[in-house]
Amino acid sequence: MRPIIAIASTTVGEAIRRRVLLVILLLAIVLLVVAPGLGILSARSETTVLKGMMLGIIQLFSAVIAIVLTVYMIPNEIERRTIYTILSKPVQRWQFLVGKYLGAVAALALMMALMCVVLVVVFIIEHQDLAAVADVLKAPMMYFVQMSLLAAVAIFFSTFVAPLVNFFLTGGLFLLGSLFNPFFQTLQDNASTNPVAKNAAMIVNTILPNFSNYNIQNPIINPNSQIQNEKTYYISITFYGLCYITILLVAGIWVFDRREV
Amino acid sequence: MAAAIETKKLTKSYKSRQHGLINVVEALDLHVEEGEIYGFLGPNGAGKTTTIKMLLGIIYPSSGLGYVLGKEIGDMDVHRMISYLPERPYYYEHMTGPEILRFYGSLFGISDEAKFQALLEKVNLHRDTTKSISQYSKGMQQRIGLAQSLINDPKLLFLDEPTGGLDPIAHREIRDLILSFRDEGRTVFISSHELSEVELICDRVAIIDRGIVKQQGKLTDLLRGGRIEITVTDIDKSIMNKLELADSSVREHPLGLLLDMPEDNEVNAVIDLVRSSKGKIVSIVPRKKRLEDLFVETVSVKPRSSSTEGVK
Amino acid sequence: MKSRISQVSVGILAAAFFCQAALQRGFIFNQWKQSYSLSKNNEAGLSIGKGLDPLQMVFALAGFREMIAGILWVRADDFFDSGNYDAILPIIRLVTLLDPSEIDVYATGMWHIGYNFTDEEQRSDRRYIPSALALGEEGARNNPDTYELFFETGWIWYHKIDDDYEHAVDWFEKAQKRADMIPARKNLLGMAYQRAGLVEKGLQKYEDLENEALAAYNKNANDFSSRQNRDVIENNIDTMLVRMVQRGYVAELNKRSLEPYDVSPPFDVGFSAKATVVEPNVIKFEGTWNVLPVGTRVRVVLRDQEYTAEVDGKMKDITEPGGMIWDYSGNVNLDPPRDRTFMQDQLFVRNRRFNRKVDMSKDPTMYPFTSDKYLIEFFYDPRSAPPHIQDKFSWNGEGMTDKNFLNTKIRKDTRVVYATLTLTKDQIKRRNEWADKVPVVETSNYKEIDKAVGSDDVIVDIPSLRAGGK
Repeated sequence: MRPIIAIASTTVGEAIRRRVLLVILLLAIVLLVVAPGLGILSARSETTVLKGMMLGIIQLFSAVIAIVLTVYMIPNEIERRTIYTILSKPVQRWQFLVGKYLGAVAALALMMALMCVVLVVVFIIEHQDLAAVADVLKAPMMYFVQMSLLAAVAIFFSTFVAPLVNFFLTGGLFLLGSLFNPFFQTLQDNASTNPVAKNAAMIVNTILPNFSNYNIQNPIINPNSQIQNEKTYYISITFYGLCYITILLVAGIWVFDRREV
Repeated sequence: MAAAIETKKLTKSYKSRQHGLINVVEALDLHVEEGEIYGFLGPNGAGKTTTIKMLLGIIYPSSGLGYVLGKEIGDMDVHRMISYLPERPYYYEHMTGPEILRFYGSLFGISDEAKFQALLEKVNLHRDTTKSISQYSKGMQQRIGLAQSLINDPKLLFLDEPTGGLDPIAHREIRDLILSFRDEGRTVFISSHELSEVELICDRVAIIDRGIVKQQGKLTDLLRGGRIEITVTDIDKSIMNKLELADSSVREHPLGLLLDMPEDNEVNAVIDLVRSSKGKIVSIVPRKKRLEDLFVETVSVKPRSSSTEGVK
Repeated sequence: MKSRISQVSVGILAAAFFCQAALQRGFIFNQWKQSYSLSKNNEAGLSIGKGLDPLQMVFALAGFREMIAGILWVRADDFFDSGNYDAILPIIRLVTLLDPSEIDVYATGMWHIGYNFTDEEQRSDRRYIPSALALGEEGARNNPDTYELFFETGWIWYHKIDDDYEHAVDWFEKAQKRADMIPARKNLLGMAYQRAGLVEKGLQKYEDLENEALAAYNKNANDFSSRQNRDVIENNIDTMLVRMVQRGYVAELNKRSLEPYDVSPPFDVGFSAKATVVEPNVIKFEGTWNVLPVGTRVRVVLRDQEYTAEVDGKMKDITEPGGMIWDYSGNVNLDPPRDRTFMQDQLFVRNRRFNRKVDMSKDPTMYPFTSDKYLIEFFYDPRSAPPHIQDKFSWNGEGMTDKNFLNTKIRKDTRVVYATLTLTKDQIKRRNEWADKVPVVETSNYKEIDKAVGSDDVIVDIPSLRAGGK
């Protein structure tokens, strides 16, 4: 496993020096710092707006970072021929792919952690409420699983698709996957829906990666409802993410193994 | 002697929309002995890098067989004993020389710091350990590439254009290093179109053009067929023409007459004739066949009708 | 070797696929629907069950809807400051669609829609009330775990509509079922029971609250608010018991005679009224009401004779005698029916007379007068009367009567006073034949008086609950 770890750590090193990513990260941090300036309403609304804004910023920017980080990773290695010096060593292709993925996830974790630190600092300055902070941090944790899944999607596509196309493909799949639970619910609840459409939707909901599972921020932003089985839900969506990431990595390895570089 | 590399009708084809099936490498029969420096020559697009990639298992042949150090190509165990320095490589820019070596070492499971230090000294980079790759000159980058290719003490090295774009001093350094590899008993497979370098260091060569090996063998054998130029004076041209030598010519020269003939021919017969005709021999100059000549000869043969441009 | 690895990888892929599919179908989706979806239909009684609005679905993009909702609501704040009330309506609809959990937005929206749209003389535009109610109902449906929106909806019935108190009772009861209800607000249900004529339930409620208050007080005797709460409730109970006796309620229960009590014999309020269109769109209402103590407010309504609205796709007359089906709309529609006219005001009685000029000419958007025929309704319900008048009339009007206009049918178990007059469009607008003639309509028993109004037994002004306290 040492090759995987070695590849992962060089990937992290490279990623945190990529200027595009640093600019995006900086933008996110600036927005997070500025967010409290918008809360000028009643006490409860202010917290609501603040939480909503900050979590929204973190999720949006994490998604952009995850995609931008991963669509170029493997194509860059091929273009710059660094992949040849690695594959000519006793490193299997799957080890290379997994190493790159783990490195991307680690880099993503670092960047999200930094955004969370800013969130915590801003929150404590505004509200001095540590318990609320702990509650708010549940969302970025689930976002991290969500973004790891997104990164896996991008890596899978990057094994056979050009970066620019991949950017739109992965971004599109993210939007689609985010809409799918609500869409399916509408079809399910509406008695007059065509059964063919309902079944088709159910099949798609089962097959496609459901990013909307991870949008758990509403009860955190509006803490006036009781959520049952919260911990069980978090564990199950994490496990779901792991399963899906496995699927994408295995499929990616299949494609990558057969690919001419 | 065991073969370091052996291929039997190794072929790589691609489907192109415009031209149908293109053979980038066609029915390649290579034979590289252990312990020698082998030059693999050809113009751009001839299929050199494709061949190397096939031998390294990075791309898969369309047909044919290939063996590296006795094992089929793609065998992961073989990768422990070989190494590859690609053309114009790029290394992770934020790393320093020692960090690069540590990274590649970890891919083998090697973490011997003393070894890394020795390698840096070998390639003369032990004084620049704090510089990152982004600050390296081209020559330094090539040298760190050679250092990383030695980490696993390889029996066989693949070098693709090892002196590409380097200044003459760097050329010489690299050349000396490669020669030292042979002294250490390693086999070196060099792909290049720097003919002067290849001529100086290679034992055997193969010339590939449009995917087909046109020439292959010992350099000395291939470069047989030099010529001799004998310059004479005080003799009549008609007398020289009496020699009736095959593949020779007599022409005017500022110093007298110039006889251009193949080196195998009877030089003594010529000398006797000149002397008996009371002529004077000004000079006898052997002109060896250059690799360049051979190369140009080989690759300027008319193309076959079915294939066109090779793809790298 | 390669085929063996492939088999293993196929196995892993298949296993992972089935795991994720099973998780998604078996647990995650249902849990998501219940806890995190835009429409959480937890209480079967409140749910409409149609799932998501297509617009809502589009907005469910990732996690950004709360962020967008927040930004929009901040914008709305600007509009509140600048007084641009109409611009706030679409923002309210958008924000509640984006994030149905934002209770503040629903509550503020309801207050805004119900209370802020008025004419030049501070009369409320009641055509918006159905929208306020629909918004409250939707908010309660989407936030069933908290008491707030149930309470706010009940408040609209109790205070704004000030009629049909059964609805207020219903909503307040629902609010009290929620665990986070503030104790101080629970008292209102006791009042609402009384207004709905459920006197004993009101008393029972106070007694239950007293037990709760005592428990809270015993836990912490030093806490000022729990002590105050206990005192207030005990006061309420005392007052109520006294009233129940005074008004003959206890006597009636025990089937004794009501004669010793003020409620017997019933007092004839002697209602009469006249409406004069003094100028186009300006009507003067005058009349008599024999109750001398200050505190009588007779409701006057001027509306289209046929007041229809769309209910379940069809146009239906949503009025009832002396009232309206305020909660006819299940869907939130922030656009009131702009071609309808509905004016409601209070006629304050002083010195046994009321005299009020209602000027509807300054607000053509609120009073478009597009219909041809109009109905004027005069309505008095003793359930809404202040306590000192109820001491005479009792909760159900047993102590009240009117020779001409008593009505025991239009309100369940209550004796109310109800009279109607009609006007035409031409009369109101003073057009055609009515350009020079002054339209006057009056009840059959109306008599002109010689004396000028405003005699010596001057009575203090009654403070209004509306803006200004005037």
